[in-house]
Amino acid sequence: MALLEINALSKVYPNGTQALRSVSFTVERGEFLAVIGLSGSGKSTLLRCINRLIEPTSGSIVFDGADVTHIKGDALRRYRQQIGMIFQQFNLIGRYSVLQNVLMGALGSVTTLDSILGRYRPELHTMALRNLEIVGIADKAHVRADSLSGGQQQRVAIARALMQEPKLLLADEPVASLDPATSHGVMRYLGYINRQLGCTIICNLHFLSLVREYASRVIALKYGQIVFEGSPAEITDDWFRHIYGDEAVEVEIR
Amino acid sequence: MRKRLSQLFLDWLACTYGVVLLHRIVWLEVISARPLPFAWAGSGSATILTTVPDWVLYAIVGAVGASIAGFTGASLVALLRGELAPNSWQRRIALHVGSLLLSLTFVTGWIVTKISLTDMFSSERLRAAGRIFSSLLTPEFSILPQAIAAIIETVYLAFMATALALPASFVLSFLAARNLMREHQWTRLLYTLLRIVTNFTRSIEPLVWAVIFTVWVKVGPFPGMLALMVHTISSLVKQYSEQIEDIDPGPMEAIASTGARPLQVVWFGVVPQIVIPFLSFTIYRWDINVRMATIIGLVGGGGIGTMLNQYQMLAQWHEVGLIVLVIALVVWVMDYVSARIREALL
Ligand SMILES: Nc1ncnc2c1ncn2[C@@H]1O[C@H](COP(=O)(O)OP(=O)(O)OP(=O)(O)O)[C@@H](O)[C@H]1O
Ligand SMILES: [Mg+2]
Repeated sequence: MALLEINALSKVYPNGTQALRSVSFTVERGEFLAVIGLSGSGKSTLLRCINRLIEPTSGSIVFDGADVTHIKGDALRRYRQQIGMIFQQFNLIGRYSVLQNVLMGALGSVTTLDSILGRYRPELHTMALRNLEIVGIADKAHVRADSLSGGQQQRVAIARALMQEPKLLLADEPVASLDPATSHGVMRYLGYINRQLGCTIICNLHFLSLVREYASRVIALKYGQIVFEGSPAEITDDWFRHIYGDEAVEVEIR
Repeated sequence: MRKRLSQLFLDWLACTYGVVLLHRIVWLEVISARPLPFAWAGSGSATILTTVPDWVLYAIVGAVGASIAGFTGASLVALLRGELAPNSWQRRIALHVGSLLLSLTFVTGWIVTKISLTDMFSSERLRAAGRIFSSLLTPEFSILPQAIAAIIETVYLAFMATALALPASFVLSFLAARNLMREHQWTRLLYTLLRIVTNFTRSIEPLVWAVIFTVWVKVGPFPGMLALMVHTISSLVKQYSEQIEDIDPGPMEAIASTGARPLQVVWFGVVPQIVIPFLSFTIYRWDINVRMATIIGLVGGGGIGTMLNQYQMLAQWHEVGLIVLVIALVVWVMDYVSARIREALL
């Protein structure tokens, strides 16, 4: 059984923009799936539909054998706990410490009152520190999150997602606001989580060189439709022009 | 179509307004020089058409004007919407109509406010001015202890109004923020209701609230505090909720995606982004409330304003001078302190 099945998913925004047009694909356990496509092709919309931050207009989402397209309330929150997400803008809470930010990944399993009073179970503290070690910044646990560099903040965001012990990790252009060297640093941690911790990853990416290096499979979106599906090696120059348009030139990121 | 209709309607309002002013002010007041009291009411043009009341006539003439504007395109509304070509004759005519309306409004304002330079600068009036200024400038310091006690009452009154309004405003502001409330039908309804109520209560001046509360709980600082509190809640809810609507939605998304509950999403995704602006607004409100508290005292809301009112009734201008001095000092200090605190927060 596949981990995730997307069937004929469509999204029309209230203003009439059709961001996704009948998108279907499956994600097997352990995959590192890259989603590529021009700006505005619907990549972010797709990821946000998967964990239901955005309500899809039609189609269905089946996760781990269960239809989650229309679940609500507690069921939706339990579903989201199984899926970590990281963002281009990191979205840490800058005024809180790194450790507190990581602990926020466990909010789903802590009562509202306990979380507001900062009472997290001891094993969550241990787990948070271990996750900070995985991404290599345990020494920064007690500094304010907004005092870190971009690459460090993204690693904190990864540690926060790991608190959910996610079956699936969604990454929306995780390195788009980082410099090339830092980008590789962050991507390597994602690769580690994928292979060593067995976490399935769906990652929106802009640079094909990163796709070729880290992804096991690729889908390409264009105007909200899937126009390519295959392994990174299969993206020839012809495919590249088809996905990105005739004027596009590939840039390398090393 | 809707746009055309609204243009016609607004043109009609403007034309009718012009006609009313032309007839009631220019014709009756200025040209025929009817004496005041002012001729807004009553039927002044009985000579023109005895059977039709004036206002119906105005409306009809206004409608004719609006139709002409609609047909020719020389419409004031179109001008304001920026729809008229730069050098067209329609634009020139609309400009003329617009400036005519403006000057009519100015003339009317002059007459209605009874502006009179002789009332201000005749030798008798100037002597009166000299009297009050010299009294105010030689304040009576013997009442300083009472004045200080009264201004302390005012400052605390303003503080209590702000402090008691704070928790209520804080909670309500989340319910009045569109970005948090738009998801579900019921929350959207609550949002709309809350917006209507706060807009309404805010449009009622604290002075009016003070009058209401002095009847309710008797004269004194308590009704003054209640009046300020009500006004503060509705103002802070507006400022707070606009701040909430302005936040970066990213952290909210991030917290929601962990499977957190709605209250946790608000507490971790929203609150950290707004505490500093909220504090800054609140301190500024306290500052504003100190000024307002002095005004509210004039209608019986306690503190220095009530004291000022008493001495002013007795025409004891030296004492009034001292009170004004004390108020000015405290307002200036509050202004300075609150500005400094807010600077330090940013
Ligand atoms: N909240 C929204 N309301 C209306 N339209 C939206 C909204 N969010 C995105 N869109 C539109 O939907 C389309 C797809 O947007 P999306 O953000 O999914 O693209 P993307 O592939 O992630 O692009 P980028 O690379 O710029 O992040 C775009 O045309 C965008 O303008
Ligand atoms: Mg995007």
